[in-house]
Amino acid sequence: MTVLKKALRFAAAVGILGAATTAATAQSIVSFNGPAGEAYIGRFIKGIKDTAALKGYDIKVFENQFNQAEQDQQVQQVLAAGVLPDVFIWWPSDAVAGLGSLRALAKTGIPVLKINQLPNEQDKQYIFGYAGPDDRLRARNAGYMMREAAAAKKAAGGEGFNVLVLSYPHSYGGYGLSINAFKEAIAGSDLNIIGDVDEGFGQANGYKGAAKAIAALRDEGIHFVYGMDDAILTGGIKALEEAGYKMGEDVVAVGTVCNGDKQLIEEGKQFGTTLQSPLHEGQLAIKMVEEYLATGELANYINFTPNPAVTATNMETVALRGYDGKLYGIDELCSGAWGG
Amino acid sequence: MSDTAAVSPSAPNLIQRIRRDYSPLVIVMVSLFLTVLLAGAVFTDDFLTWFNVKTIIRDAALVGIMAIGLTFVTLSGNFFLLSMKEIAALSIICFATLMGAEWNQWGPADGDPATSALVATFLIAFLVTMVIASIAGAVQGALIGLGGNPIVVTLGAAGLFFGIGSWWSDNLVVSYRRPHGAEWLGTGSFIGDIPNITVAFILIAIVAELVLRYTTFGRQVYLVGANRAAGRATGHENFGMAIKCCIIASVCAAFVAVAFSGQVSSAHVNYFSSEFGSSGDMTIMVIAIVMVGGNSIMGGYGSTLRTSLGAIFISTVDNMMVLNGFNSGARVLAVGLMIVFSIIVFALVRRGSRAVE
Repeated sequence: MTVLKKALRFAAAVGILGAATTAATAQSIVSFNGPAGEAYIGRFIKGIKDTAALKGYDIKVFENQFNQAEQDQQVQQVLAAGVLPDVFIWWPSDAVAGLGSLRALAKTGIPVLKINQLPNEQDKQYIFGYAGPDDRLRARNAGYMMREAAAAKKAAGGEGFNVLVLSYPHSYGGYGLSINAFKEAIAGSDLNIIGDVDEGFGQANGYKGAAKAIAALRDEGIHFVYGMDDAILTGGIKALEEAGYKMGEDVVAVGTVCNGDKQLIEEGKQFGTTLQSPLHEGQLAIKMVEEYLATGELANYINFTPNPAVTATNMETVALRGYDGKLYGIDELCSGAWGG
Repeated sequence: MSDTAAVSPSAPNLIQRIRRDYSPLVIVMVSLFLTVLLAGAVFTDDFLTWFNVKTIIRDAALVGIMAIGLTFVTLSGNFFLLSMKEIAALSIICFATLMGAEWNQWGPADGDPATSALVATFLIAFLVTMVIASIAGAVQGALIGLGGNPIVVTLGAAGLFFGIGSWWSDNLVVSYRRPHGAEWLGTGSFIGDIPNITVAFILIAIVAELVLRYTTFGRQVYLVGANRAAGRATGHENFGMAIKCCIIASVCAAFVAVAFSGQVSSAHVNYFSSEFGSSGDMTIMVIAIVMVGGNSIMGGYGSTLRTSLGAIFISTVDNMMVLNGFNSGARVLAVGLMIVFSIIVFALVRRGSRAVE
């Protein structure tokens, strides 16, 4: 019996020692972001969790339902609990309204990495860096792609260069960045924006917005369509097809984000898109955390995810090496109907 | 007014009846609104075209079908199903998963499958989806019929259905390849250039109205909704009525889910949370349509015809605003004002009708 007790005490001591050692070595991260139920964010969360596990970090993810008040409450709960992580990852639901919570996180002295939404001047004093997409680069690449398609059309004797834009809601922060970059990219070409509809996010709203715009613009002629993301564009393409347009012939469609429908590009109904990978974004965030914890600073304050162009000719060969060392194909990088 | 009508030797004409039955405030409000609508229609370029009329009805179709289903619940005095979009979310995941399931592919392994194979795949997916939606509706109806608060029951059910859909799909987009058997519903048209989903909306609206007006079940809906005690006294308990009406609403939501999935060849549990209507939430949009249609929130008064017209009315105003270059903020405001307007008018009309009684 005594031997058994001793053995149990020894085992308990080893266990406690082991736990203490782990607690002392495993650094922790707390991420505040949107819900996993949203396709893009779901893949982002997979990216940060998998990469954090690979790098040996403990990570806790607090999801809000696109609600800044809910996110503010989560911040207060984490701060009140008193057990603070080594790094905060901050994806505000609303960058302006969430400034108070960002300030509260920074006041703890724990470093904060902002993700997904470019920091403004007020944010910069509270964060050690940014990791995420570049709305401008994405839109600019879409503009260049459309410019290329327009040049090819002109060279082939084609006529008509009117562009319909299927936008994010104009009140959304990404709208201004996207439309300005797109306009800059097509400036000086034959392309001419004749309509800009902001029905809302997603395929259903893309469809509805395009259907109304077609009613208003069909006499003027619609020859090109730019979707601020592929989900909106996918709906728009359906509306154009229902209205009798032959996609790829009568109308050339270019999107971004790679959250639409792969088959549309395969079939030539969508000319191309620019990749914005949520998986990569999640991995990049952990990479920046790792760099900061190791060196106390980031080599680059702003760190963008790559936005390569994806068209029918390269879609099977586009691949990006993840920050976990693995090579990811387009089906894993995209977030829409791309096989996962 | 009634004195004037009483001494009149002939029956009152339409204007006299309107002046008799409605307060001056209601008449002024409705007249003002109709004037604005008419002026907008006349002075908005490209509004009065066949293409745009099709666009308006097509725009109203999906939310309209859902709203027609929800009207049965409201008319029966069971308030609203606050789980409409979650039923649709679960249904769309179920449908898309079955459409893409390997065991449900009936054509040859290589090459495009025959039409019969596509139809078989579609029918299996469609029927299973409808059964699941019916169960979802029946469970909610039973709980409401047993005395559960409709708000609490359907909010709880909403979380349950969304959670199941989210877990089932692992929060990913579920896609299946074209050609498939749901394309005819989502994007096809067999009557000229009128989309099939528009035809479906019109047919469902007609059938629903006929059921309410001319069947025993329809009369029972009104009876139970208007006076639950009277319904119970005549052997029509709310328990059975709540189950039937919730099943109808759930099946309508599932039908919309199937049609939308057929259009985009994919599904995601969040499609109905952020993609429909200016309000950005399909349940809110559907409730707005039922309210704008002038159906009584307390039950017993209204019709699916009113709901269908409410859907087209909201779509018309939204369409007009887009054609005039308004952005989404102004359009959300317009929908909100329409709801407030309809509630005020409805309340005044009810007060007027009670005064007449």
